[in-house]
Amino acid sequence: MASDAPPASNGEASIDSYDLMPKLAANLDRHMVFPLLEFTASQLVDEESNAVKDEKKMREITQAKYELLKKTDMTDYVANLYCELEGLKEPPVEFADKKQKVFSQLEKYEQETAKITELLQRDDVINNLRSDKVANLEFLKREHEVTIEMVDALYDFGNLQYSCGNYADASEVLHRFRVLSTDNDKVAYATWGRLACETLTMNWESAMEEVQKVRESIDSRLANNPLAQLEHRTALIHWALFPLFNFEKAREPILELFFNAGFINTIQANCPWILRYLAVAVITGRGRSKNQGIQQKQMKDIVRIVKRESYEYQDPVTRFVHALCVDFDFEEAQHQLVLAEEVLRRDFFLLGTADDFVDAARHLIFESYCKIHSRITLKDLSARLGLNKEDAEKWIVNLIRDTRLDAKIDYQEGTVVMNHPPSSVYQQVIERTKGGFFRTQVLSAAVAR
Amino acid sequence: MSRFFRGGDDSSSESSSDEEDLYSGSEAEENEKIEQEESSDAAEEEVEAAEESDSDADQKKKGLSRFLVDQDSSESEESDSEITAKVKSAKDKRFDELEATITGIQNGQKINDWGSISNEFDKLNRQVTKLQDGGKAPKIYIKCIAELEDFMNETLAKQKVTPKKMNATNARGLNAVKQRIKKNNKDYQEQIDAFRKDSDDFMESDEEEVPAPKATKVRFQDMIAADEAEEDDGGFATVGKGGRALLFTPESIFKHLRTIVESRGKKNTDRLEQIKIMEKLGEVAVTPYQKIRVLMTLISARFDLGSGGAASMPLEHWKAAERELFLLLRILETEKDHIIIEGADEWDDDDKPPVLEQGQKYIRIPGSIVSFIERLDDELTRSLQSIDPHTSEYIERLTDEGSLYNIIFKGLLYYEMLRKDASLEVPQESLNRIIQRRLDHVYFKPAQVVKILEENCWKEVPSDVDSTITPRTESVDAGHLINVLCNYLFANSDGIIRARAMLCQIYFLALHDQYYRARDMMLTSHLQESIAQFDITSQILYNRTLVQVGLCAFRKGLVYDAQNTLQEICGSGRQKELLAQGVMIQRFNQVSPEQERLEKQRQLPFHMHINLELLECVYLTCSMLLEIPLLAQTGSSPDVKKRVISKTYRRMLEYHERQIFTGPPENTRDHVMQASKALAAGEWKKATLFVHSIKIWDLMPNTEDIKTMLAKQIQEEGLRTYLFTYAPFYDTLSIESLSTMFQLDSRKVSAVVSKMISHEELAAALDQVTETVIFRKGVELSRLQSLALTLSDKASALIETNERTLEQRTQGSANAFNRKDGRGGNRGGGQRGGRGGSRTGGNAQRQAGGTQFTGGALGAAVRG
Repeated sequence: MASDAPPASNGEASIDSYDLMPKLAANLDRHMVFPLLEFTASQLVDEESNAVKDEKKMREITQAKYELLKKTDMTDYVANLYCELEGLKEPPVEFADKKQKVFSQLEKYEQETAKITELLQRDDVINNLRSDKVANLEFLKREHEVTIEMVDALYDFGNLQYSCGNYADASEVLHRFRVLSTDNDKVAYATWGRLACETLTMNWESAMEEVQKVRESIDSRLANNPLAQLEHRTALIHWALFPLFNFEKAREPILELFFNAGFINTIQANCPWILRYLAVAVITGRGRSKNQGIQQKQMKDIVRIVKRESYEYQDPVTRFVHALCVDFDFEEAQHQLVLAEEVLRRDFFLLGTADDFVDAARHLIFESYCKIHSRITLKDLSARLGLNKEDAEKWIVNLIRDTRLDAKIDYQEGTVVMNHPPSSVYQQVIERTKGGFFRTQVLSAAVAR
Repeated sequence: MSRFFRGGDDSSSESSSDEEDLYSGSEAEENEKIEQEESSDAAEEEVEAAEESDSDADQKKKGLSRFLVDQDSSESEESDSEITAKVKSAKDKRFDELEATITGIQNGQKINDWGSISNEFDKLNRQVTKLQDGGKAPKIYIKCIAELEDFMNETLAKQKVTPKKMNATNARGLNAVKQRIKKNNKDYQEQIDAFRKDSDDFMESDEEEVPAPKATKVRFQDMIAADEAEEDDGGFATVGKGGRALLFTPESIFKHLRTIVESRGKKNTDRLEQIKIMEKLGEVAVTPYQKIRVLMTLISARFDLGSGGAASMPLEHWKAAERELFLLLRILETEKDHIIIEGADEWDDDDKPPVLEQGQKYIRIPGSIVSFIERLDDELTRSLQSIDPHTSEYIERLTDEGSLYNIIFKGLLYYEMLRKDASLEVPQESLNRIIQRRLDHVYFKPAQVVKILEENCWKEVPSDVDSTITPRTESVDAGHLINVLCNYLFANSDGIIRARAMLCQIYFLALHDQYYRARDMMLTSHLQESIAQFDITSQILYNRTLVQVGLCAFRKGLVYDAQNTLQEICGSGRQKELLAQGVMIQRFNQVSPEQERLEKQRQLPFHMHINLELLECVYLTCSMLLEIPLLAQTGSSPDVKKRVISKTYRRMLEYHERQIFTGPPENTRDHVMQASKALAAGEWKKATLFVHSIKIWDLMPNTEDIKTMLAKQIQEEGLRTYLFTYAPFYDTLSIESLSTMFQLDSRKVSAVVSKMISHEELAAALDQVTETVIFRKGVELSRLQSLALTLSDKASALIETNERTLEQRTQGSANAFNRKDGRGGNRGGGQRGGRGGSRTGGNAQRQAGGTQFTGGALGAAVRG
């Protein structure tokens, strides 16, 4: 699918070289690439005048769209694209032919599956279904003359629906298939199919369910095939980006998924560019997460991984993390933050989080800055944060209030003074022995049992 | 029964020396006993009786002479009977022994003692191979085995009907004999048949005929020439000196080959003589089939010269074998209808060579090119092992590697050709083996050398021939070639070959400074978990690879990684052994000569060695850069646990410090130790000077870069050490002065300081206004406080151990410990972070992770 992606490096600006489009496209379904292409196209259009900035590139994107969708069954749209590309008024005959064929196919499947569909809507049938799939199938065979072929037809029907772009219908059909089929491979594919459908219809709640199902099937079914496991995980990681940045509730489970040992290894080995998304997700997640501990652990992990993978993958976001948390080079971090913002604004997934990210990143800079310094000039700090002096002052005051930071602004000197009380030894001893009693009790209870 | 027999024996030693009497006495007893036992079984009696009479007859037949001989063997001095009156030749002695053994068997038969029969039978077979010549075994031997077979059959038959079980030794002996006798007797079937037909006639001609078969044999030594000179008439003349040239006709080639093959592996065959004959045969061979056969036999005969003991094959023979193998491959290349293939049928007819029949595509000749190549390779290694590497002889010998590589390559091409024809079913394994050999010859070499090797071998093959696995265009670049070879092995092999291919590739990558790829491959291979189950040579390869990866990390300036990687090998102090570059002198436990020999065999030839001095130098330098700041850190704060990175280094440092007078450094170790001392005192310039003056850096490529890198590292670590050491004595330190002191960029200085503060290694803060480091006061703990901390640590460690023990006992079923799992994960993460994030930050991280409530480094700042 590499050809689907528009050529990314025209050597115009360095920012363009951070475009992950080609890498992402290779791991996504063609239907999922489409929104990405749309987004790229929309960026080329000037917002106010609605004029296309770069004709050549626009054409390239249209070409890419055409190549992308040529293999799908969305015939009308493809025909339109073709016309646009070739400058024709009327689409050639073969498109009409194909359309006809697709329709007849659709009809055929519809007939084949009509019975099952009808059965599954009847209450008396539904009530007789149990959790055992094999028994269900037996039951349907016996009572209603349902055959395996009919069930498989459901699968093909769903596939075709999806290919035509009827995602909602496809999802429904695939769901039915999954209820009935005993073919594990096909069920797994159907799960992927549903995930795609739900993602494309922006039905995030059920998409999340599907993500979990796919994950389970990867972990269990492919346990003895490491290569397939790696590939499937890579795909799942890419697909999961859609809910991750579009659905607030998906954030925690998906981050948890990404930091799972198997998946984090997959990211490191196979697709280090995901680190950008991961880093952004973790950094923007500051304060939002209920559990501070998890957030801190994730931050630590991301720092570690960014450092380890820095030889293989770098972009402004990871460089920002590296500069701030590994090298403690605040100037460099500030510089990378500016670049990162721009990268974020050009990224399909990250566009929405760009502001959050910048804000959270400032927090992060300030935190480590405060930790290390005992006295900071306001001027310098405002430069570090990329704000003017008044804004910075306001910002710091807010921050001190929000986080109960032990710091004061000395206005006369124009400095922020930090107070670092050394952690008391007594406190340390208390903390270390805090859980001891409880744990010993549990232990003795367990021994007694 | 055997016990009974033994009892008889004991009595024999006590009783008078007359053995004959005793013998018959014990025999009689024996027979009685047997009869007693058997009287219970009527059916058997008959059989037994027949057998007994049979053996009685034997006794009579052999009569006096047997006992005389017997006696003679025991008390040869007294004897002056007819037979022994002769001057005894070695052969006669053997005959006597043979007869003694046969008597043993017969005795065993009488008492049904299969255990001793089995032993005697083995002995007999060993003896008879020495005596037999030209395929004719001595008559008495034939008689004996024929009888034994009969007796065995009887016993087996008996066994079936009697409910009584034999005792274990007997049963085992019977089984052993049964298995062996079938196999053995097949060889002598003809003679046995003759014996069975007319045993008397057969035996009568005994004495005269025994030497007769000797005459027909073809032998090339003249050890017993005197004996044979009178007797021989026809056979020996075939190889007589005068007629030799005439006799080597193309027709007789196969006959000659057969005799040679048959005498192979036997004692007293003169291999050199055989080789000469075969060389002659090779000259007269006309058809490709003849040529191939002669060459194959010749090559294996040459390899026989090297077998046995530690001696390697003589040089001229290795060269000749190499030439002949080359010739063989060339013939095979031109004569496409002849193929050498494992598992082909042997062509038995010596008179007419096989011809291509209708519908057959090939003449198949049994043999294995890959084994030849492997053997040739092994022999070269052996000879390189035995040559002193510092002589010109070694270098000369090393040049042969080029031609060997060519042969390997040609062999590979040959196998590829065979593989193209699917009907031949050439096993994948042979191809894998040959590719592995090729890989073994390139993986440790720099790209330029590999390139030359490749160019040479491509020159040898015609331009229209190409390799499917390693096409001509692909193998120009050494890295690419290795990649192609390894990928082939990954895809087509498993187990050890696959692991070795992986290691070879990692080694090559590391050698060519591709650290990250090498490291990633090393980690993804998961070999460190399974390497202990592999054979020792693979383990050596693994060690070599590990060391090479470590050196590569060092060249990249990754001191921490380098030290970590090298630790396992260099920290053990047994580098030599682990890398198979020398045998350790065993001080405490004695090794058997056998072990020693094996170990010697494993040694790598010198040109494959990794320079141990350089290795030590790199290891010590890395350890210095990590240990000195750590020492400074632990020195200043008592509560930090005594963490040791490298015990070897610590020991050396202590030893160095104990010396009263330290002279100027002489060897690498001295240099590093003195540099360490200077670094510990904050004199980074001096340390750099010491490290730079180590001569062995010149062996590394880009010496200057490495020195610059080292200087930079020393500056940084010097700064850290300085801060650790002198922090207690300062209130503030200006960044500026630090920067001039260590000639570092002030931005760099503040970065280093920031890092230390952030990892809670240094109780300080930066003041941006005055550009100073402000050290916090009151952080030094009193003795009581630090002891309290240690105590609390130990207490929680105790709880944890208890929990773990209980969990193990209950197999994790006690769900009361769910809580602890979360903790464990947390802690592990913290530690890992510490290890990856900073070299010495582990301590701080541990504290943070270990107490669960502090909430990590950032949390501390926020909580204020």
